Amino acid sequence: MPDSQPIKKYRYHLFSWIMLTPGLIFLGLFLLVPFVLLLVISFRDVDGFMNMLPTYSFAQYVEVFTSKFYVRMIGTTLWVALVTTAICILLAYPAAYLLVRAPGKGVRTMLYVFLVSPLLTSVVIRTFAWIVLLAQNGLVNEVLLKLHLITEPLSLLWNMKAVIIAYVQVMLPFAVLPIATSLGEIDPRLRQASMSLGAGRLRTFFRVTLPLTIPGMMSGAIIVFSLAAGSYITPLLVGGRLQPLLPLAIYQQVLQVANLPLGAAMSMTLLVLVGVLVAVMGWLLRLWEGRMNG
Amino acid sequence: MEPTTGNVYIGGRDLTGLPPYRRDIGMVFQNYALFPHLSVFDNVAYGLKIRKMSKADIARRVEECLAAVRLESFAGRMPHQLSGGQQQRVAIARALAIRPKVLLLDEPLSNLDAKLRKEMQTELRSLQRRIGITTILVTHDQEEALSLSDRIGILGEGELQQLGTPLEVYRRPANRFVAEFIGQVNLIEVKAAADADAPSGTRAFYAEWHRLASGSPLVLHAADHPSLDGKDTALFMLRPERVRLSAEPRDGAANANGAEIRVESVSYAGSTLRIAGVLPGGGELVALAGDPSFPSLPEPGRTMYAHWEPGDLIPLE
Repeated sequence: MPDSQPIKKYRYHLFSWIMLTPGLIFLGLFLLVPFVLLLVISFRDVDGFMNMLPTYSFAQYVEVFTSKFYVRMIGTTLWVALVTTAICILLAYPAAYLLVRAPGKGVRTMLYVFLVSPLLTSVVIRTFAWIVLLAQNGLVNEVLLKLHLITEPLSLLWNMKAVIIAYVQVMLPFAVLPIATSLGEIDPRLRQASMSLGAGRLRTFFRVTLPLTIPGMMSGAIIVFSLAAGSYITPLLVGGRLQPLLPLAIYQQVLQVANLPLGAAMSMTLLVLVGVLVAVMGWLLRLWEGRMNG
Repeated sequence: MEPTTGNVYIGGRDLTGLPPYRRDIGMVFQNYALFPHLSVFDNVAYGLKIRKMSKADIARRVEECLAAVRLESFAGRMPHQLSGGQQQRVAIARALAIRPKVLLLDEPLSNLDAKLRKEMQTELRSLQRRIGITTILVTHDQEEALSLSDRIGILGEGELQQLGTPLEVYRRPANRFVAEFIGQVNLIEVKAAADADAPSGTRAFYAEWHRLASGSPLVLHAADHPSLDGKDTALFMLRPERVRLSAEPRDGAANANGAEIRVESVSYAGSTLRIAGVLPGGGELVALAGDPSFPSLPEPGRTMYAHWEPGDLIPLE
């Protein structure tokens, strides 16, 4: 019965659409609608008391892109996210290597649990731990003072270094997992082949293993970069509210200054910038994978 | 992996303790293990770049090696753009590029389907002849081993069972393991029969399990062999293709061996016909006949007569 085939297919499609409906409604209501609202608001004008006027213009975007303060802030935000991404990938690689080469399944499972367990606690709690460590009367300063290595407590908190340190700690697992996955997928015989051709362990690593894990590093970088460019809780807690980071500025515009259109315009700017950078990274990743697998 | 005993020498050089990257062995892996991120050219050039050869020398050597496997025009392709057979040739070219003393092929044809495997066997043999490099090929396919090699080493139970030419290994297997491993075989346990008369150049034996309708043991005449001296029992190998079958009993020479069998099963494989039968008093016998031997397939249950020459009975250790 060749005729029943399209009907079956159609029914199957209908069924999956019905199953998808609740999720789609939820996403539509709480993601798409707010997004469109944000876009619309970003073009609204405000009066001197930050009340929204019924007129539309590019005024908010002009403000974002002409103010030296905001332009530099955009640069800082992307730079901090980039540095965080680089450190995360660098630190994640050995961890992923250890994870994949772990002797026995039990040890590997245990290492995975260690790796993922920080994700089970909230970002706020993990960030607060850094305050406990880095504060003027925190653990690090206390120990250094007791050892007489310093005479006055160092100011370790409320600067960009503290933000990057906390970012790296919070986001490291997101870099380790994709790298570990791509490391685990490498055929061990490729390493053996490299050695049989005369390459030692180090050269085998740089010529075979490392290039083959580029996809994992790229996926990790995409996740860490977009997280680091967009989070505000961590910088707020360990960096203070004066750090020149776009997410912090958005938070202040919306909740403290109550200039919703400017906040919306900054949000859209951040979204588009991160989107473009992630798209470029994704395109490079596809290019590399296409070269290898067609 | 650490060897438990013994040493590995290639051309007088002891390789036993050397790490893999110092061994200078051209290795071709079962799944070819081509580097997926490198082009065919860069795959073949890999070992040369490690050896820090000049760019011009590398280009020349790679071209040479790709020509040897007839893939000159594929240098710019990526491994995934090649067929299985082509990938294997690239793997061979890559191994040859470093000018190894020995080429090691680890089950190179086991991933290919039967028809392609036959083609690649021929290709591999002519390639090896052309290049003239000592090649060790690991295989589980006995036919492949017989048709490709000059010498076969049979490994079993952690030991080298026999080392010999294909002819020696097939016709004069050193022991029961080798006999059963290479090809099909009838094994006949016998006791010396001093009382039975044996024509000159042969010895007479009573089969242990192969018996006539009367229950008395089948009498076998085997060609004389020094290994049979002074032995009460022996084990003979009889290759199925040495057993000839006829519909009527044949009055042969006095030293001919013969037995009546009842056909149990017949399997037709096109060029050959495998007939398994049992003797009336017990004991199995398998015969392999060429397709033209019978106008129609013998039916199971029918009685036939098997016979073979004394020289066809090969004593095993």
